[in-house]
Amino acid sequence: MHSRLCTPADHALSRRRVLGAFAGGAAGLGLGPLVRPAVAEDLKANDKQVLLVWLDGGMSQLESWDPKPNTRFGGPYRAIDTSVPGLRVSELMPKVATRMQHLSVVRSMKTEDPNHSSGVPKILRGHPKNRGVTYPYFGSAVARLMGPGPSGLPPYVWVKPGSGGFVSKHAGFLGAKYGALALGDGKPPNNLLRPDTIDSDADRERNELRELFERRYRRTHRPGWSEANTHVYDVARTLMKNVELFDESKLDPQDVERYGRHHLGRHLLLARRVLEAGVRFVQVTSYGWDTHGDNFNAHARRVPGLDQPLAAVLDDLHDRGMLENVLVVVMAEFGRTPRVNGSVGRDHWPNAWSLATGGCGIVPGQVVGATNDDGTDVAGTPYDIGSLFHTWFHALGIDSRTAEYHNGTQPLPVAHDDMQPIRELLA
Amino acid sequence: MSSARTLGLTLGCATVLLAGSLATAEEPLHVRIDALVAARAEVPLAPPADDAEFCRRVHLDLVGRVPTVVETRTFLADTSADKRTKLVDRLLASAEHPRHLAESLHVELMERRGDDEHWQRFLRSSFERNRPWDDFVRAILKPTPPQTKSDDSDESPAESPDVGAAFFLTSRLVSEGAMAPVDVPGLTRDVGRLLAGVDLQCAQCHDHLTVDDYSQRDFQGLHVVFENVKTVRGDTPGVSEGLMQQSKPFQSVFTGEPMQTGPFVPGGREITIPTFEKGEEYVVAPDRKTRSPGVPRFSPLTELALGLTAPDNDLFAKNAVNRIWFDMLGRGLVEPLDLHHADNPPSHPELLDLLAREFVAHDFDARWLRRELMLTATYQRTSRRPADAKPPPETSYAVALEKRLSAEQLLRSALIVTGPAEATVEQIDARLQDESTAALKKAFLKAFANPPKEPEIDFEPTVAAALTFLNDKTFLRLLEPTDGHLVDRLVKSDDAILADELYLAVLSRLPDDEERAIVTTHLAKHSDDRPNACSQLAWALMSSTEFLVNH
Repeated sequence: MHSRLCTPADHALSRRRVLGAFAGGAAGLGLGPLVRPAVAEDLKANDKQVLLVWLDGGMSQLESWDPKPNTRFGGPYRAIDTSVPGLRVSELMPKVATRMQHLSVVRSMKTEDPNHSSGVPKILRGHPKNRGVTYPYFGSAVARLMGPGPSGLPPYVWVKPGSGGFVSKHAGFLGAKYGALALGDGKPPNNLLRPDTIDSDADRERNELRELFERRYRRTHRPGWSEANTHVYDVARTLMKNVELFDESKLDPQDVERYGRHHLGRHLLLARRVLEAGVRFVQVTSYGWDTHGDNFNAHARRVPGLDQPLAAVLDDLHDRGMLENVLVVVMAEFGRTPRVNGSVGRDHWPNAWSLATGGCGIVPGQVVGATNDDGTDVAGTPYDIGSLFHTWFHALGIDSRTAEYHNGTQPLPVAHDDMQPIRELLA
Repeated sequence: MSSARTLGLTLGCATVLLAGSLATAEEPLHVRIDALVAARAEVPLAPPADDAEFCRRVHLDLVGRVPTVVETRTFLADTSADKRTKLVDRLLASAEHPRHLAESLHVELMERRGDDEHWQRFLRSSFERNRPWDDFVRAILKPTPPQTKSDDSDESPAESPDVGAAFFLTSRLVSEGAMAPVDVPGLTRDVGRLLAGVDLQCAQCHDHLTVDDYSQRDFQGLHVVFENVKTVRGDTPGVSEGLMQQSKPFQSVFTGEPMQTGPFVPGGREITIPTFEKGEEYVVAPDRKTRSPGVPRFSPLTELALGLTAPDNDLFAKNAVNRIWFDMLGRGLVEPLDLHHADNPPSHPELLDLLAREFVAHDFDARWLRRELMLTATYQRTSRRPADAKPPPETSYAVALEKRLSAEQLLRSALIVTGPAEATVEQIDARLQDESTAALKKAFLKAFANPPKEPEIDFEPTVAAALTFLNDKTFLRLLEPTDGHLVDRLVKSDDAILADELYLAVLSRLPDDEERAIVTTHLAKHSDDRPNACSQLAWALMSSTEFLVNH
C-alpha cells in the first residue's frame, strides 16, 4: 500500500491542522466558523477518508439496488444473486453483485424534495433543520470537521465532467476555504503546471527566498496572516508535486481496462489515486441519470457503466487494505418512479429509493429496510438523509449528536438534530 | 431603540468631559480621537510608522495603489515638518482618490455581483464631488426613475449620473433560475447589514435567538418595503414600487402569534401607511397598454431612505463611521461590522459616539472624516512590534493593524512595481484599460477576489492565488527583463544599489543591512544568470505577505 496515510511519522498533528485552515479554494486563518476544539482533538489520529459516487439526476432503484422483477412496475430486467446470500440486485450490475460483501444497501430512503435544483443540495447537505444558514455539502463538512490529513492536499476534491476550478459554494456558511477543488474532466487545476522556463531548482530557490522574506516579516507582525499565506503556498506546491495524478500516460493499462475508458471509469480511477495520495474526501459525479424517457434502454447503457468501475474501485480499496478507512457512498438526489410514464420513462421519486454504502466500519452485506411489493413506498421505517449523515459521521469518528459548528455566536448541529444513526450499519 | 440612543448620547458626553484634561472639545477631531484611544489602551503604544511605511499605507488607503519609486523617493527626501499632512491633502484632492473610492465602495456594496456602466458613473460622479454619505444612500435606496432611449429627443438633457444608483437594488432583484425566486430576504438583509450595520437575517422567521435587539418585526418591516419593489426594463437600471395600502401579517415560527407591520426603518420608527381617496392613490396611474407600473403617491422606499438617513438615526451614522474607521484602521470599533446591538458594545463606545456625532455635524462628509482619521497618531503608528513580542490586543490599536488589499489594489500595484520607474498614473490607468491586460485582470480577480455575495474583510489567501503567482504566465511575464521595466533595471544596476532599487520598487521602503546581504548573496550565487536571479528576488518579495497586505 503506497498511501501516505500510513507513514506513521506523518501522523503527528501538524500545526496547520490545529489551525484548521484548509481548503480547496482558500485557506485563511480568520474568524471562520469554528468547530468545538474538543472535536478537532478527537479527530487527531483519524485517517479516515470518503469516496462519494454521485449519480446526478437520480438512478432508478428498480434497475439497480432494489429490483422488483415480475411486478407491476418492475420493468424488463431480472434480479440476480450476489455474494451476500439473500441479497439480490439488478442483472445490470453483475460485477458489483459479486462484491456485495463490501457494501450494504439502504432500500428505505424517503426524502422530501422531488426537484433536482433544490433536491441535490438538500441531499448533499444532509437536509438539516432550517436555521437560516446555508449548510455545507458533505465534502465541505468533512473538510471542516476532519481537516486535510497529513498529505497536505486539499481535503475536498470533486472529480466531474466539464469544467473545474475552486468551487466555493459547496461550503455554505463555513466559507469559501472549505469549498471543493473541482477537477473538470479529471484535468488539473489552472496553473498547476510550472512553466518550462522555471526548472525545479529555480522553483525551489524562489520559494526558499519567499519563505525567508516571509519569516522576516512574521518576526515583527502578527503571525496569522503570514502563516495563512505560507500555508496556501505549501498546499499549492504539494499539489504541484502530485502532478503525476493528472498524467494519464502513467496509468497502468490494466487499470484503464478494468475501470473502463468512459467518464465514470476514468474518474473513479482518478478518485482511487487521489485517495491513495491522501485526499480526505473525493466526490465523483456522473451526470445524465434523469431518465424521463426511454428509462430501460438508458439504464441498460448506464448501470453497467457504474458497475464496472465501482467493482474495480471496491477491489482496489479492499486489496490495498484501504476499505477499512475509506467510507464509500453511492447515491443520488432521489430514485425514480415505479410507475412508467408515457415515454417509457421513470420520473422523480423521493418517496422510496435506495443507496449503497460501505467501508470504514459500515457493517457490510446488510439490507436496511424494504419497499412494498410494487416499490411505491417504504415498507416499515423510512430513513431520511439526515439519518444517513449521522451514520456516516459516526463511521468517520465524529459524534454527530454532540459535534457542533459555530457560525459566529450561533451553534449549529452537524446533522439533523431529530434524527439518529442507523444502528444496523454501525458495529 | 430610542432609549438606547439616549443612553448612548449621555455616555458619549460624559466621556468627553472625562477626557477633557487631555483634549478639549475645541481641539481638532484627530486629537480627541487619540486621547480616547490612549485612555483605553492599557498597553504601551507603538511609535509612529516611519516615513516609508506611512507613505505606502496612505497611498493604498487613499488612491488604491502603492507609491511609485519616484513618489517614495520624493517623500523620503522631503524635510518639511508637515509633509505627512501635505501628502494626505494632495492625495485626497487627486483624481485618483474618487476612482479608488468608487472601486472600493463597489466591492463593499455589490460584493462581486457584477457590474454596470451606469452604476460606475454614479459612483464616480458621487465621489468626485464628495457627495454627503446620507445623500448617497438616499440615491441608492430611492433611485431616480430609469431613462429609456424612447424618451430621448435629440436635445434631451444629459443622462443624470444618478440613474445608475438603482443597480444596488436591481442586481439583487434578479431571479437566479427557475427554482430560485428573487431573493427579497437577501436584499433586506443586505440593506440592514451594509447601510445600518444590523444583520437581521436570523430574525426572518422569529425574533433573533441570540440578539435581543433584533426582532422579527425589524426584519419584516424592512422586508415589506422591498417586497413591494420590482425592477423595470429600460436602458438603465430602474425600479418601480407597487401600491401599499395595508400592513403585512406575519407570525413567528415558534409562537405562531399573529402580528403585522408596515414599513419599519432600522434605527427609526414604523412608517404609517397613508390612505387615499379612491383614484388618488397614484401620482402616475399604471397603464396596461404601455405596461407602465405607475407611480404610487405613497413610496415606502422614499420613507425608508429619509428615515434611515435622518440625522438623529444613530444606527445609520454609527454604521457609516464604523465602516470608514474599519477601512482606515483595520478593525471596526464594532465587530463584526454588521452586528451593532446592545450586547455587542463597541471597543470604544465614547469614540464611536464622538465620530458619529461629528460626522452628522459635518453633514456626513466622508472626505473630512477620512482626513481626520489619517491625521491621528493612532492611524500613523507603525505596524511593527518588537521581534517576537506578543502582539497587543487588536482592540487597543496600540500597533497599526494590517489590512486586506483588494484584487484591484493588488493588480494596480503589481503593474506599478514591475513596470517602468517613470510611469505616470495616467500610463498605469491606460495599461489597465488595455486589452493586453485583460487576461491579467481576470487572473487577479480569480486569485484575490472573494466569490460573489461574500464581504471581503480579512486577508484570505487562496491556493488559486498561490498557483497564479507560482505558474501563471501572464503574471510571470511582468517579471521578465522587458526594456525599462523593474527586472531590466535591476539587471543593469550596480550591485551596490540593486537591493535599494528592488526594495523601493516592490515594498516601497529601503532594505536593512540583513536584507542587503540576502540580495547580495543571491546575486553572487547566480552571477551566471543575473536576469533570472533578479526576477526571483522580485517574485519572492511580491509573493510575501509584506507586499500582499497594507500594513
